[in-house]
Amino acid sequence: MADASSTQKVTIDGHEVMVPPGTTILDAAERVGVVLPRYCYHPGLSAPALCRMCLVEVEGAPKLLPSCVQQVQDDMVVHTTSADARKARRAVIEFLLVNHPLDCPICDAAGQCELQDYAFETGQLHTRVTDPKMVLGRDNVTPEIVYFGDRCILCTRCVRFMDEVAQEPVLQVVQRGHKGYIDTMTGDLFEHAFSMNIVDVCPVGALVNEDFLFKARAWDLDQAPSICPGCSQGCNISLGTKENQIRRAKPRPNMEVNSYWMCDEGRKTVVNWGSGDRLEVPMLKGDSLLPVDWQRALSALTEALRGEPGAARGVASAGASNEALYILRRLMEVAGFDGGYFAVPMAEEHVLAGFPKLALRSERVPNARGAELFGFERSDDPYAEVASHTGALFVLDDPLDGAPEGFGASAAIFVYLGTRLSPAARRADIVIPVTTFAEMEGTFTNFQGRVQRFAPALQPPGLARPLWMSGSATLERLGTGSAYRSAAETFAALAGDYEEFDGLTYESIGPGGSLIASARTQTARAG
Amino acid sequence: MSERKLHPAVAGAQPMYRAENDPDAPLFEGAYKQRFDDILTRYPDKRAAILPVLAMCQELRGWISSETIERVAELLDLTPAYVLSITSFYTMFRPQPVGKYLIQVCTSIGCDLCGAENVVEKLLAATGTRTGEISEDGLYTVIEVECLGACGFATVVQVNERVYESVKTETVTRLLEELR
Ligand code: SF4
Ligand code: SF4
Ligand code: FES
Ligand code: FES
Repeated sequence: MADASSTQKVTIDGHEVMVPPGTTILDAAERVGVVLPRYCYHPGLSAPALCRMCLVEVEGAPKLLPSCVQQVQDDMVVHTTSADARKARRAVIEFLLVNHPLDCPICDAAGQCELQDYAFETGQLHTRVTDPKMVLGRDNVTPEIVYFGDRCILCTRCVRFMDEVAQEPVLQVVQRGHKGYIDTMTGDLFEHAFSMNIVDVCPVGALVNEDFLFKARAWDLDQAPSICPGCSQGCNISLGTKENQIRRAKPRPNMEVNSYWMCDEGRKTVVNWGSGDRLEVPMLKGDSLLPVDWQRALSALTEALRGEPGAARGVASAGASNEALYILRRLMEVAGFDGGYFAVPMAEEHVLAGFPKLALRSERVPNARGAELFGFERSDDPYAEVASHTGALFVLDDPLDGAPEGFGASAAIFVYLGTRLSPAARRADIVIPVTTFAEMEGTFTNFQGRVQRFAPALQPPGLARPLWMSGSATLERLGTGSAYRSAAETFAALAGDYEEFDGLTYESIGPGGSLIASARTQTARAG
Repeated sequence: MSERKLHPAVAGAQPMYRAENDPDAPLFEGAYKQRFDDILTRYPDKRAAILPVLAMCQELRGWISSETIERVAELLDLTPAYVLSITSFYTMFRPQPVGKYLIQVCTSIGCDLCGAENVVEKLLAATGTRTGEISEDGLYTVIEVECLGACGFATVVQVNERVYESVKTETVTRLLEELR
């Protein structure tokens, strides 16, 4: 505990807690596990204290106080569930429901709606309102986001996101009082690279993504913590899946990387990642390319590498995990590493003005930094570097869409490790199905040099398995290592071999990610 | 009763209520440009000048069109949506042209409890309009407004700049007659 002069003692519902001066009651309450109801308050935005949902009773105070802005004082005694506080909250809910359509059965937010939750908590069976409800209707505010005016509780989180974080105040409260609603300039749609965060901050179902509308109920989604593969920023996300498909991505807070936000493009990239026909079985080339079981595939790969095919060159995808790139590198080293290359698709960068640490980076791959750490080189035309190679040729999860005619034809052995079997990949001698980031545990290294973990969200299709699994089994057969039992074990081996990762383990990386050695010293110097 | 004179305030003494505004008058030109510049000098930043600038526009054109909103936004470095949030917040700014007599009925809590809604309905029926429209003879526009600060005399109706107290459904016809 910090020294007494810099902390203040507050008692919240009987729990004592020491907090630094300036802490709000709402934050202090969270430290003792009391989550106060709130609508207008969002940790990533300013607090206008306009919804009055967070009112609490403070001993000695003449009236209830909004806990989202009220700072603690030493020896403050707070009651969050006193009769008065509960009554006030009940009144707020009653007012909010006067015109609310309660169309929860067709509302996208049902099951994750703060109005549902708190209305449920107050448990009012009957409405005292006899007037008909006012009807506002709905309208698009961006080409992809619809505003359901009747559901809006005018918390202004969306307005403040656009004003403070996007710094383009294009959403406003129009009209006032019970006639108020959220709009752009009448009839205009706005576009912004980070617009979909307004859907996330909306505590109710007033702002919804057309993309997700009527696709899944919130409670049917399984959630897995993940990392967005859309660009080198590496936003922390949560993947919502159903029936083994990614339905949506939502940002997970990480103050060092993406705060509470993520970009629109990332959301789309995630949902479409790995869709389409997948490579589901290992294959070997005889007269033609034929499916085989894992035993035969791995034996073939082992034999091929034992047969001294000549030094190995390869093309890797910078969308592959650190673990996969490490295993690829080791497989190539068996034959003698003679160069690995990767392409980095580039596009326009969009910085989030109110949180400039976050940008949709121009490097639209998640792990270029990682690929470099394992000795792969970025190249404008990686295919050209290896096209006429005569030794062992490896390709990792690159669809070879732009590969020249006859790519790999001169290679002694062409090994394709991938998620899709494109026509160019069909020329491979050995085809090994691997998994996408969503189907395995692993790590990416973002542009800052931050190693971040992602968890498996989907079952891999068919026989596809993470490369650390098939690759390390092959290395064991070759007598140059042991088969790893987990991604964590693979990472431990990698951290032992590469200084940049020295000292890092899955455990120590934790939920917020950890910087590689050179990035650590850099920040230390800068800080 | 019948020889009672129409109160002069009803005619609209303030420029903002003048009946002869020109909806196509050029904004921010000549004398009005001068006034715009003067207004700016009175405020710490451009955004703070928004109310007087909008009032000037309405004085000139009689109402605030989306074109006006966009011009003001551009001149004050604001988004049009922000300007719209202001003009739509204050009922004194009109989103469409109004008749010679702008009949503003308070429908805030005090007046509402005393039957303001019925007064509005009666006024709309008598003028043959819907809220905000101009009656066919060009004379009347009825709108609902927030508390006019005379709650003790509900229902309160303000016609242009004159306040009528204790208006009831029964007195609506007489009120309109008096204006005619
Ligand atoms: S749309 Fe949602 S976030 Fe925006 S004001 Fe309404 S309830 Fe709040
Ligand atoms: S900024 Fe990059 S990492 Fe973040 S959501 Fe967008 S594409 Fe994904
Ligand atoms: S959350 Fe505190 S007033 Fe809205
Ligand atoms: S409530 Fe009508 S004048 Fe105040």
